Amino acid sequence: MGLIKKVPVYSEKIPGGGIICTSLEQVLHFGQAKSLWYLLFGTACCAIELMCTGASRYDFDRLGMMFRATPRQSDLIIAAGTITKKMAPRLRKLYDQMAEPRYVIAMGGCTIKGGPFYYDCYSVEKGIDHIVPVDIYIPGCPPRPESLLEGCLKLQDKIQKQKLSDWQEK
Amino acid sequence: MTEYRTEEYQINMGPHHPSTHGVCRLLLTMDGEKVIKVEPYIGYLHRSIEKICENRTYQMCIPILDRFEYVTAMSCNYVFSLASERLAAIEVPERAEYLRVIMLELNRIASHLIFFGTTAMDIGALTPFLYALREREMIMDLFEMTCGQRLTYNYIRIGGVSKDIQEEFIPKCREAIKIIDDKVEEYKRLLNGNPIWKARTIGVGKLDPDLAIAYGASGPILRASGVSYDLRRDDPYSIYDRFDYNIPTYKNGDVYDRYMIRLDEIQESCKIVSQALDSMPEGEIQAKVRPRFMPPEGEVYTRIENSRGEMGVYLRSNGTNKPLRLKARGGSYAHLQLLPEISTNCLIADLVAIFASFDIIMPEIDR
Amino acid sequence: MTRDELKTYLDSNYSDKIRPLDTGRYDLIYEINAENLFSFAKAIAEDENLKFDYICNIGGSDTGENLEAVYSVASVSKKLRLDFKVILPYENPEIESVQKVWKGANWHEREMWELFGINIKNHNDLKCFLLPEDWNQGHPMRKDWDAPDFVRFPEL
Repeated sequence: MGLIKKVPVYSEKIPGGGIICTSLEQVLHFGQAKSLWYLLFGTACCAIELMCTGASRYDFDRLGMMFRATPRQSDLIIAAGTITKKMAPRLRKLYDQMAEPRYVIAMGGCTIKGGPFYYDCYSVEKGIDHIVPVDIYIPGCPPRPESLLEGCLKLQDKIQKQKLSDWQEK
Repeated sequence: MTEYRTEEYQINMGPHHPSTHGVCRLLLTMDGEKVIKVEPYIGYLHRSIEKICENRTYQMCIPILDRFEYVTAMSCNYVFSLASERLAAIEVPERAEYLRVIMLELNRIASHLIFFGTTAMDIGALTPFLYALREREMIMDLFEMTCGQRLTYNYIRIGGVSKDIQEEFIPKCREAIKIIDDKVEEYKRLLNGNPIWKARTIGVGKLDPDLAIAYGASGPILRASGVSYDLRRDDPYSIYDRFDYNIPTYKNGDVYDRYMIRLDEIQESCKIVSQALDSMPEGEIQAKVRPRFMPPEGEVYTRIENSRGEMGVYLRSNGTNKPLRLKARGGSYAHLQLLPEISTNCLIADLVAIFASFDIIMPEIDR
Repeated sequence: MTRDELKTYLDSNYSDKIRPLDTGRYDLIYEINAENLFSFAKAIAEDENLKFDYICNIGGSDTGENLEAVYSVASVSKKLRLDFKVILPYENPEIESVQKVWKGANWHEREMWELFGINIKNHNDLKCFLLPEDWNQGHPMRKDWDAPDFVRFPEL
């Protein structure tokens, strides 16, 4: 039973049956991290690499990640591609429509600080972290599928280290 | 019998939509399930590539233009290099021309494979997407072996190419195109006889050839409507006249023909690549070009046959090392103007099929 | 028809409207006044020997001294290519739309209006196109355009 090996066990098994005690945080975050459903949000070149990562050779499904077409059913936005000033309010609207807990990965140089479109460009938002709060940055132009997979694994580690109080109403 | 009052309503097929192939907003005026009017709104990916290139040297423009149409980035590199070579009257060595043709045709195959996968996914068949991207990975391996990148290559430079191919490129390339040639036959067997596929694609979205020419449509869309116009034969560039290949043309101009013509073009490109590999000479891969490249004053409009139609670059130089004006034009620019004309009075599911069959990439339109 | 035959044909039949330029490095390029633009466009599209029915590109251009609109056309049946341009001043540049001749010119002209400020007469749909809807900072592709968050590439 592989699942039981991963979740930390805080008490002995009762003879004759299997009962484990662990904290609610561990179980909830384990469940969230291992089945992130991401919104298909690709605008530019990084979207092709996102498609390739979800396809046959570098498979996203083995990490439990599936693409969804609507923000109501997803808990991760992978912002792949340049965000322009015309598109920025739409990204914010999609982020607001997602249910908590929700996460954002900024993929590619354009979403970090503008990328190759930093100089001489009048219509590109130079970075998305003043539009939505970003959890993981993945550099590259475009980043290889292996980089994207590594970024998702780091996000899974980050989720498992969170506390439940982070998501409570203040 | 009561009379029901119906009224039209407007729906946004918004910038974020899984089947708009990029960020395109379509404002649909509908009566029930039928589409009455389509109005495209663009500009969500306007990255001002033309303004950027006015402040960069000629060699620095090539990686910027890679992002202009990233699915066929080799063609973008090539059309700019060809325009600069025509401005400065540079002659490219033979081996470089053969390498360029091989890379351009491999890129055409990769682009048509993406078309096949995403069109089938839009119409509802999910398996071809995984099959097509599996074959495309073989071509990505070849590109990575040669120039180090999977998507934005910066390989075809002014005066030639940047690196020579390695020894294991030729046998791997032959094996890849043999596998792809056989797999295309398998794709045809997978979808062509399927009654659902035929019902959704045959007779849908017919395009009249005169309308297509008036709007400036080109490439597979024009050839699927019966007009045999291919810039590799009719406005010749590079060494395409040395190879023996067909130019497929279909008559009906519906979604089925636009899908079949691209599968046929994959097989023709495989023929060109194998002929080029057979007859490639040894020699230099780059002509002598000054590092501070300054072409004489002049202007030129160069166009090539891309997998999406005609890709053109208008380049104007004033004798310095930076271009005075660079205007890039992709094939999809004209095709999206055609969409409102041929999609009136169709069902919304047909609109998705027509949009997918045009194979539109938004950065070509927005730049 | 080869390129030289095209040149002699145009010089003999249309010399009252167009003047040849020597800046073209591969195809023929001519200069035309803004008043003759629509009639010349209609004539070469309907001429039986030329049949220029395919619009490749209409590009606006800012050369530093004046604005230009460069038209590139082609003929599908006769396999020909031609360029011609209109030179316009910076104050109140205005040309007539060629939509009725080539339908595909619609979006090219909209883009020229938005990015360069060239006014197009008789256009059916001149509104915001590539820039955000609330853009009020002028015409960005002109050489003298500037904005507070516009960062220039440093000189090497």
